[in-house]
Amino acid sequence: MPADAGGRAAAMIRHNTILLLREPGPLASRLILPLIFLTLLHPLYQAAQGHSAGISQAVIATVVMFSLLALSIVGGSILTERVWHTWERIRATAVRPAELLAGKALPAMAVLLAQQVLIVGLGAAVFGLAVPSPALLALALFAWTLALLGMGAAIGVLARSFSELSIAYDLGGIVLSSLGGALVPLAVMPAWVRHVAPASPGYWAVSALKAALGGDGAATVRASAMLAAFALAFGLLAAARANRGAARSARM
Amino acid sequence: MREVAGDGMLVAEGLVKRYGTRRALDGFDLTVRSGEITGLIGHNGAGKTTFVEAVTGLIRPDAGRVTVGGIDVRRDPCGARRLLGVAPQELTLYVSATVRDNLRLFGALAGLRRAALHCAVDQVAEELQLTEVLGQRAGLLSGGQRRRTQAAAALVGGAPLLLLDEPTAGADPQTRAALLEAVRARAASGAAIVYTTHYLPELADLRATLAVARSGRIIARGAQEDLVRGLPGELRLRLDGTAGDGQVPASLADRTRSDAGELRITSTDPPADLAVLLSAGCTPVWVDVRRPGLDDLYRALTPEVSHAG
Repeated sequence: MPADAGGRAAAMIRHNTILLLREPGPLASRLILPLIFLTLLHPLYQAAQGHSAGISQAVIATVVMFSLLALSIVGGSILTERVWHTWERIRATAVRPAELLAGKALPAMAVLLAQQVLIVGLGAAVFGLAVPSPALLALALFAWTLALLGMGAAIGVLARSFSELSIAYDLGGIVLSSLGGALVPLAVMPAWVRHVAPASPGYWAVSALKAALGGDGAATVRASAMLAAFALAFGLLAAARANRGAARSARM
Repeated sequence: MREVAGDGMLVAEGLVKRYGTRRALDGFDLTVRSGEITGLIGHNGAGKTTFVEAVTGLIRPDAGRVTVGGIDVRRDPCGARRLLGVAPQELTLYVSATVRDNLRLFGALAGLRRAALHCAVDQVAEELQLTEVLGQRAGLLSGGQRRRTQAAAALVGGAPLLLLDEPTAGADPQTRAALLEAVRARAASGAAIVYTTHYLPELADLRATLAVARSGRIIARGAQEDLVRGLPGELRLRLDGTAGDGQVPASLADRTRSDAGELRITSTDPPADLAVLLSAGCTPVWVDVRRPGLDDLYRALTPEVSHAG
C-alpha cells in the first residue's frame, strides 16, 4: 500500500474511532449488557443442559444475540454519515473506496471482536467454559464478525432513518438469534423453525461456535465459510446501494 | 500551495450528462486558470451541481472530458481529487467531532501529516477566526462558525483547485468578510477557484471572472467589465410633482416605468435621455444614474428567471 494510501486509511480509522468514542453510551452498553446477561442466565442454561453444555449454550446465545444487537454501531456509523451528508463530502476527497471501507470497518470490527472476546473470556475465566481450540474459536468469531460487518453495512445504507435502523437491529437481532438456535436449541423448536434456520446467518454463527467449542475443525471451517459468504453477499449489496444512492448530494 | 503546471487548472470540454430525456449538461465548457476566481452563476437546474459532480468524479459524463491539473478525472478520479478542495453548499460537518478533528481529517486526506497537518489546521483556523472554537464540537457552533468551518475544511489541504458553493450563504458580515478575504488570499497564492453565489456583489468584491450557466452549458464567460459593457443601465429621476408619466416623451415611453413616484428609464446613454427629458419640459427634482451591474447581466442572460422573479 503506498504511503499516502496508508496515511488516508489511517486518518479514516482514527476519525471513525474518535466518532465512536465521542458517543460512548451505546458502546458501553453493548459491552457491559451481555456480561450481565451471561452472569444472570447461565445458571438457567446449566440447569437445563448440564454444566458443560449449559455454559457453552449460554455463551453462544450471548455472543450471537448481543453481537446482532451491536449491529447498531456499524449501521449507525454509516447512517449517521448519510444524515450529516458527510458521506459524499468524503467521497469528493482523494480517499479511495478501500480506504473508506477500512476506515469504517476496522473500528467497528474492533468493537465487535472486543464484545465477543469479553463474553467468551468471562465464560472461560469465571464460569468454566472449555475452549479446546482457541484457534478454531478465533476463526469462528472472526467469520461471524465479518458477517456482522456486512449485515451492518447493508442496514446502514438501506435504512432511511434511525427508527428504521432501530427496528432492523432490535427485531432482526432477536429473530436471527432465535432462528439460529442461539437462545433455545433448535432441537426443541418447532419443525418449521428447523426448516428455515439455515437461511439465518445466526444459524451458521451458532454452528461455527458450537463446532469450535466442540473442537470440530471441519465443521467450524464449513460454517465459517458460510458466514464469509453471508458477509460477501451483504457487503456487495451495501456497496451497490451506496454507489447507486451516491450520485446527487454535492449540491452546487 | 502545491504548484501544478498547465494552461488551465480546471478544463471541462463538451460535457454532456443525460438523466433520461433531460440533459443536465449539454456541452458544458469551462476553463479556470491558476490564480483565477471564476464566479459560476445560473439558476437552479442550469447544470452547476452536475458539473461539480463531474469534476469530483462522482458522476461519469456521457460525453466530454474534465481534467484537473492535467489529470483526466475519468481515468484517475482519486488522483484528480487530490488537487481539489470542495465546500458544498449544504453543511457537511461531523457534528459530534470537534472543529479540530474535522479539519484534521480533511487535511490528512489531502496528504498532510504530523507537523504540517497541525500547522495547516492552526493557520486556517486563524485565517477564518476559528481558533477559539477549535476544541468545540461542530454541532455546538453558531451558524456563522459552522459556515467558516465548512470553508476551512476545503481550504486546509492547500488544494490548487477550490470548488466553493455559496460559502457565505446565511453568513453574518464578519463571516462573509473573513471568507472573502481567505478566498482572495488563496487566489493570490495561485489557487484556481470556482465560486458560486446568488449574492452577486460578492463576485465584484472578489474581482471574479464570470461564467454564466444556463440549460446545461456556459452561455457567457469573461471579465465582469467586458460582459456588462453594452448592457443598459438605468436613469432614475423624480419630477417636480406637477406632472407625471405623461410628460415623458414618446421616444422614451417604452423604456420607462414608474415606481413609487420615481421614473426609471432603461438606458444605454443616460445623459442623452436626460437631455431629451429636459427639452420636453420635464423638471426633475432628483436624478440618479445607475451603471449596469451583475444583476443586469444575469437578468439579460437568464430572462426566464427574471420574468419568474
